[in-house]
Amino acid sequence: MDVSLLQQMLLGALLGLSVYLPLRCGQLSLASPGFYAIGGTVAALLSTRWPALGGTGATYPISSVLLEMGLAAVLTGAIAAAIGTVVLRLRGIYLAIATIALVEILRVITLNLAITGGALGIFGIPQPFYGPEGYALFTGALLALVCWLCDRLERTRPGLAMAAIRDDELAAASQGIDTARFKLLAFVLSAVVAGITGVVAAHFLNSWNAKLGNFDASITSLAFVVFGGSRTWLGPVLGGLLLTALPEVLRPAGDLRLIVFGLVILLGPLLVPQGLVSPERLQALGRLLPRPGPFGRQAP
Amino acid sequence: MTATAATKPLLALENLTCRFGGLVAVGRVSFAVQPGEIFGLLGPNGAGKTTLFNLISGITPPSGGSVHWRGKAITGLPSHRIARLGIARTFQNLRLFGSLSCLENVLVGLHKHSRQPLIPALLGNGLFRRRQGQLRQEAMALLRLLDLDPWAEHSAASLAYGDRRRLELARALATGPELLLLDEPAAGLNPREKQELSALIHRIRAQFNLSVVIIEHHVPLMMELCDRLAVLNFGERIALGTPEQVRRNPAVIEAYLGTNP
Repeated sequence: MDVSLLQQMLLGALLGLSVYLPLRCGQLSLASPGFYAIGGTVAALLSTRWPALGGTGATYPISSVLLEMGLAAVLTGAIAAAIGTVVLRLRGIYLAIATIALVEILRVITLNLAITGGALGIFGIPQPFYGPEGYALFTGALLALVCWLCDRLERTRPGLAMAAIRDDELAAASQGIDTARFKLLAFVLSAVVAGITGVVAAHFLNSWNAKLGNFDASITSLAFVVFGGSRTWLGPVLGGLLLTALPEVLRPAGDLRLIVFGLVILLGPLLVPQGLVSPERLQALGRLLPRPGPFGRQAP
Repeated sequence: MTATAATKPLLALENLTCRFGGLVAVGRVSFAVQPGEIFGLLGPNGAGKTTLFNLISGITPPSGGSVHWRGKAITGLPSHRIARLGIARTFQNLRLFGSLSCLENVLVGLHKHSRQPLIPALLGNGLFRRRQGQLRQEAMALLRLLDLDPWAEHSAASLAYGDRRRLELARALATGPELLLLDEPAAGLNPREKQELSALIHRIRAQFNLSVVIIEHHVPLMMELCDRLAVLNFGERIALGTPEQVRRNPAVIEAYLGTNP
């Protein structure tokens, strides 16, 4: 398989996780591509305009990439905390609309600021790796780390509280759960994941422009979660990997490929409304491979 | 006919009012609930009983008046704060966490010692698993108390109606309340289940040292169960007293029990 495609799939999985985190808490936020764009812009600006980050070697130092990721995480986290406090008062489709507006505002700003290169964007972002293999390894490690954190989250109290909020926010509050706090936590984590993914994507793509975080990206990344399943982290990862690969795998089908892709997106929710991965299916698998679930759940 | 008990009231409502636009759902309602008491709220449909629960539990902000808990004003606090003070409630139209198991439904409310230190939680080490095990056992004990333990791992949505009502009770008990607000716990139960419910409420009051405020339409059950009753009609308190006093109150007979044809 083409390693560049694998790299794109890994980035898709990370974006899927970013959309998944608020959704697991019942919040339909489409803001992830906005934070992805912020992360990418941070990386593009820092690496092209701050010579000290470039180091002395032939390639761009990985430590500088990590530094950019750290800065992007802090920046996106802070923006999400500020915006989330206000916007998370909205529910359901209204939250989705507000977050789409956020993505559009960020896109228009990026498109019109001189510092972000206007419509052309920023070129010549330095490369920390010689080829896509290095990127795939790096992104694979990042994905593994984020998956591990999500897995721990789901097995601890915040995960249970978020699931309770998703099922019934009012009842969760009446059980003593500070719903606003957990919703904000999920929103901030989602923004941080999208932000650091944007940093990696900017280096990998070599250039960055306003088109990379737009409404299309919102819908595509939502499709990852709808297709893969929104109740356990494995769902969006699988959805992100598969749906990113599908258009490329279908390339031999020529013009038909977009039709087939559309059909898959359409049939997915019809045939598996819960998504490909659900806790029940994992439990059924778990009977074959014994593995303790949340709070050490075992077969009764 | 006001509360004359010498003890300090656990919960005291003073002129509590809630208006939705021009409609007065609850109008200047006052009463106090004593520690250990089972206090009944009677009233025809739309009398404002559930709205009163929503005001006490912080779901709806009151338009006027005050709620005091152990002498401290808690009026207008968000519902998670009120739950943590020790006021738990059930819902008339069942609001369980449908996709979670019965055990998890109870675990949600068990937050008194469910905070885990971050590092063990991230590592999932022995300390973390021991604590999770303790929580599980506490939750199982509550399920066992309500005869729900065989369904611990089943999703709440898959339970039969009567079992769901008991699960709501188990979930409310998990928060470690001192006051339990029960909103029509007998609705939809058959006569035998209603009898069991009455015994169950007495049992959990004794075991957990609780006070209970209960909304219920089934008058014989309320007469038997409650120490005192308040009757609401069109958002106003029209009677307050022992079941015997309320039974003989002419305003109650007219508003709620009806007159003989």
